[in-house]
Amino acid sequence: MTAHETEQATQHGPGAGHGTAFWGRAHEAPSEEFRTVGRSVRRRDLVEKVLGTAKYTVDVTMPGMLHARVVRSDRAHAKILNIETSKALSQPDVVAVVTADDLVHLRARFGHIISDHFILGTGKVRYFGEPVAIVLAESRAAAYDAAELVDVSYEDLPAVMTAAEALVKDAPLVHDVLYDATADATFKELTESEGEEDEGPHLTNVAHEVTIGWGDVDEAFANAHLVVETETHYPMLYGYAMEPYNAVASYNETGLTVITTAQHPYMVRDDLARIFDLPLAKVRVQAPYLGGGYGTKSYTKVEPLAAVASWVVGRPVKLMLTVDEAIYTTRVDDGQMRMRTAFDAEGRILARDYELVMDSGAYADNSPLVLAKSVNRAFGPYRVPALRGRGRSVYTNTSPASSYRGFGAPQGNLCGETNLDQAADQLGISRREIRRRNLVKWGEEILPKNRGIDADLIADLDMVVDSLERDRKDEPYYGIGFGTAASDAGAYPISTAQVKVETDGSVIVLSGSTEMGQGSTSLLAQVAAEEFGIDIHKVSVIQSDTGAVAYERTTGASRTTTLAGLALVRACADARTKLREMAAELWSCDVSEVSDGPGVVNGPEGKSLDLGKVVTRWFGGSAGEVTGVGLVRREGVTKEMPPFWETGMVGVGVKVDVETGQITLDQLVTCADVGFAINPQAVEAQDLGAATQGLGGALFEELVYDGPQLANANVVDYRVPRAGDMARKIDLLLAERRDGVGPYGAKGAGEGQLNPVGGAVASAVAQAIGRWPSRLPLTPERVWRLANNISDDD
Amino acid sequence: MLPPFRLARPRTLDEALDAIGDDRVPYCGGTELLLAMRAGLTRPEALVDLKSLPELQGIAVDGGHVVVGGTERHMDIAAHSVIRKHLPMLARVEHGVGNARVRAQGSIAGNLCFAEPKSDVGPALMAFGASVTLASPTGRREVTVEELIQGPYFADKEPDELLVDVRVPIPSTATRGAYLKYQITERPTVGVAVVHDPEAGTCRLVVGAVGEVPTVWTGTSPDEIDPDAIAEEVDPTPDLTGTERYKRHITGVYVRRVLEQLADVKAGK
Amino acid sequence: MAADQLAQVEISVEVNGTVVERVVEPRTLLVDFLREDLGLTGTKQSCLLEVCGVCTVLVDGRPVSSCTSLAVDADGHKVTTVEGLSDGKTMHPLQESFVDNHALQCGFCTPGFLMMSKALLDESPDVDREEIVEYLDGNICRCTGYQPIVQAVEQVAAQMRQEREVAR
Repeated sequence: MTAHETEQATQHGPGAGHGTAFWGRAHEAPSEEFRTVGRSVRRRDLVEKVLGTAKYTVDVTMPGMLHARVVRSDRAHAKILNIETSKALSQPDVVAVVTADDLVHLRARFGHIISDHFILGTGKVRYFGEPVAIVLAESRAAAYDAAELVDVSYEDLPAVMTAAEALVKDAPLVHDVLYDATADATFKELTESEGEEDEGPHLTNVAHEVTIGWGDVDEAFANAHLVVETETHYPMLYGYAMEPYNAVASYNETGLTVITTAQHPYMVRDDLARIFDLPLAKVRVQAPYLGGGYGTKSYTKVEPLAAVASWVVGRPVKLMLTVDEAIYTTRVDDGQMRMRTAFDAEGRILARDYELVMDSGAYADNSPLVLAKSVNRAFGPYRVPALRGRGRSVYTNTSPASSYRGFGAPQGNLCGETNLDQAADQLGISRREIRRRNLVKWGEEILPKNRGIDADLIADLDMVVDSLERDRKDEPYYGIGFGTAASDAGAYPISTAQVKVETDGSVIVLSGSTEMGQGSTSLLAQVAAEEFGIDIHKVSVIQSDTGAVAYERTTGASRTTTLAGLALVRACADARTKLREMAAELWSCDVSEVSDGPGVVNGPEGKSLDLGKVVTRWFGGSAGEVTGVGLVRREGVTKEMPPFWETGMVGVGVKVDVETGQITLDQLVTCADVGFAINPQAVEAQDLGAATQGLGGALFEELVYDGPQLANANVVDYRVPRAGDMARKIDLLLAERRDGVGPYGAKGAGEGQLNPVGGAVASAVAQAIGRWPSRLPLTPERVWRLANNISDDD
Repeated sequence: MLPPFRLARPRTLDEALDAIGDDRVPYCGGTELLLAMRAGLTRPEALVDLKSLPELQGIAVDGGHVVVGGTERHMDIAAHSVIRKHLPMLARVEHGVGNARVRAQGSIAGNLCFAEPKSDVGPALMAFGASVTLASPTGRREVTVEELIQGPYFADKEPDELLVDVRVPIPSTATRGAYLKYQITERPTVGVAVVHDPEAGTCRLVVGAVGEVPTVWTGTSPDEIDPDAIAEEVDPTPDLTGTERYKRHITGVYVRRVLEQLADVKAGK
Repeated sequence: MAADQLAQVEISVEVNGTVVERVVEPRTLLVDFLREDLGLTGTKQSCLLEVCGVCTVLVDGRPVSSCTSLAVDADGHKVTTVEGLSDGKTMHPLQESFVDNHALQCGFCTPGFLMMSKALLDESPDVDREEIVEYLDGNICRCTGYQPIVQAVEQVAAQMRQEREVAR
């Protein structure tokens, strides 16, 4: 296909931040200010993973466990008339077949925002692939064989397969009842919408609706010099974590234990406790390493299936999904958006007015929150004096949609950024210049009453555009596109951490965060090593076990560095305080005469004791342990929301083959504004990974429905980026201005560089071929038709 | 999970011919068969392992032909000196099949018998005018690859027959060959193979992958080839990689491009 | 004489240097044999369609999709998995290079990439970057964006080239 030249990214001087060459920051001499953080340390989880000793849920077994295989609906919308299980039950080694009838004494619905999600199809099925029964057998083979013998009879109901169909007046209802909102205070705050009418129960397929706005939008449009209207469609995607969902559950007299591929073990615990009416303390959820998460493993997925199965048979149950089953468990919301922007003669935004519709599938899962964030993020990090934004998350008879990296930002960013570029082109201003005129400056608000932006976006923009222009190729059909985004990230600031100092001065960190490849394990070790002034090899980290570590609300929204990190810093400080007090007692001096040193406590007259010795001497034997606790809630530095803004600043250079429509990626430039990179190499790694997933949605990926089912619920027909698609030049930049509330001035990272990719690619292609795309992914055929002015009907 | 089946391991061709039948299917690498079984498309009672049969192995010159045993894997065919010397375009095609794992496991006979429309190997062999030997308990017959590949996933081979070898007539040393494929997902959307033997006065161009079966054009010289006419002739199968309109257009583009590439190929390549 | 139709097959496979003898059903996939019968859980599964490469192991040094490969077909052959890369004390240069270059994040695809890379370098020690990309185009990674993987393999190839030159 395409040839790739070896290309060393160029060195260039910093703007207001550290501009770096590819992997450059990772190989720069670390600053003298810190011992451990700010360095690209060798991640301990990577070593386990290359050795093949790293444990994932799929590797877990429990003695006496049964294997589960789910029987799934082959209809998009149908009443369940009967489930014939006798043939399956008569097979050798088959122990049970669980259906919704077995769950009537449980609260057999879950959902952390709207509890609309039936564990097993009840009364009717709402999408092709919905779980209807669970076959349990002594071996996986027996479970698979028997599952084919379960016979479900249906009565078809009319289905709504697109958001447009679902919004038609009197369309068939996916859900014909109203459910309780499970939403706790944190969700209510985040999904609250002003101007939402609380009418009587007039049911539609709208799962959630959000509006935001300020200023006088109509007046702004009336007085505008230029109005640009843009309509775009961002595709329905599949996150494709390479490890599909799986879980091992054991329900017995001591309670419920579930080992699972969950990013948020504590949120899953909440759902499971509700289902079984168990005290939280009796539900233990553990997550080993996750084989990819990207938000697709946020909140409850297959744990209830495994747990109810175990509850029914009284033995542990292991449930492993295949990739197609995973696609029929959770996918990503698409986004159909229409935006109008009013500009003055200088290209300054006077108002933005937009409407977004998301096809959220058969169950709400996290879509209401994704929608709310998408509406918040669609107008971009710009000064917008008047705004009207509206979004609807719509139920359809398709696979349920939920969180994915970017969390609603990519869907709206595509529209907002291409809209801005179109205005620039029409006004004869450069696309860089129009952004310079509109981007907010450090500290300026974009969302009223929220934290002002904590990044220097214009400096970041210049770094990216300079890099792109420097390597622009003077060839026909070559185009450059770039985009900016800011996400109100961090989710909710509730976090705790514990740290235990042992008798030899080594330290154990307890955190409820999970390790899904983003580097949380190593990062927490770095922070603890830094805070105690000890070698990182003396720190171990235990995570993601609700029965054994410290509470963490969620691992996602790029929040772990800032919030779990902050909790850990506080835990270390708490432990240090205790150790100082203990040392003061041992030295019979006042606490004010005692201070912290690296791995030691220092006292009057040059006295000094290793931390471990403080412990043993205080306890009076070679025994004991000192625990520090750190808590984070909405107060102090984390009172303002969001805890931090996660920015995205991405540019691409593309070459288009107008004969075939194929796009070759020539340049990829990203700039992450992270405050402080605790592990620079890990940040760059996350940025490239995020941008690559963004390129997937921009160029290749799209779930396509064909009648009631997906035409491409597999990774042959659902095409993800591969090594051969890499850009010739990759430039990953980090801006570190120590402007975050996290440890050492850190903010979050991991999602930002995905968000502007779709818009950047669309703009680059528009520059290359002279016509504006409005629909992603930009498959070769779409580009060919656009470039050659061939209509879709031809 | 695969459905249950029995395994037969014949040691000679005769034992193998005895073992195969309606529900007892031959296999070598299993790269296509096992996928079909896992998808529930076929449930044979037994699999007959052909990997130990010496009669189905080997790559050698036999008279005016290159003979490739049916169980030879793509990886070995691509690297073999006999193929590189006499059929360099075929070596390049074999080197580009699927990915390294498919090349290590997959056999040429398996590829031809499965008759996956989106294949590179069949069209390349057809451009060389290759044929295959089919053996049954009652005897042997030789058919051209073109005759073998009857339809999508349909090779004209009886359940009691085995594909023993592939026979490619060795073209003159003045021969030039080229293969170009347009692939944007896991399988090619269109692949065009062309072989021109100026001494024999033959030119064959084969368009594969775009339709249910390959389309063959024969003449004396590439100059006679009209890419647009060939594009009109093919019957594209629309799918997620393109509509009929687009695929027809791409066919024309790639016929043109493979001819440009052919012009740059030196004799004997 | 007809060949027997076996419902159970005795196999003898050398796995990471150790010969194991077992009786298996013909339907047993190589990946399940390795993971469940032998407890070698380093090899993972994902697409089940031979396109992602997560399940790659080496059979006689050649890469195969163990998810679409029968255990009975490994009978009499040598299988190498990720557990067989290091000698227990030192990591294979590829493993070191992957860690140094951050060529993995979640790690689920990593054993497959390591085995593919080993097969490539063992077969063609003199590969250039383009050939590495072409070969590894057969494996999917969702975390890294591929560049660090290619870089890691390039470095080991360069290292091996240097060692060969010194040895001359």
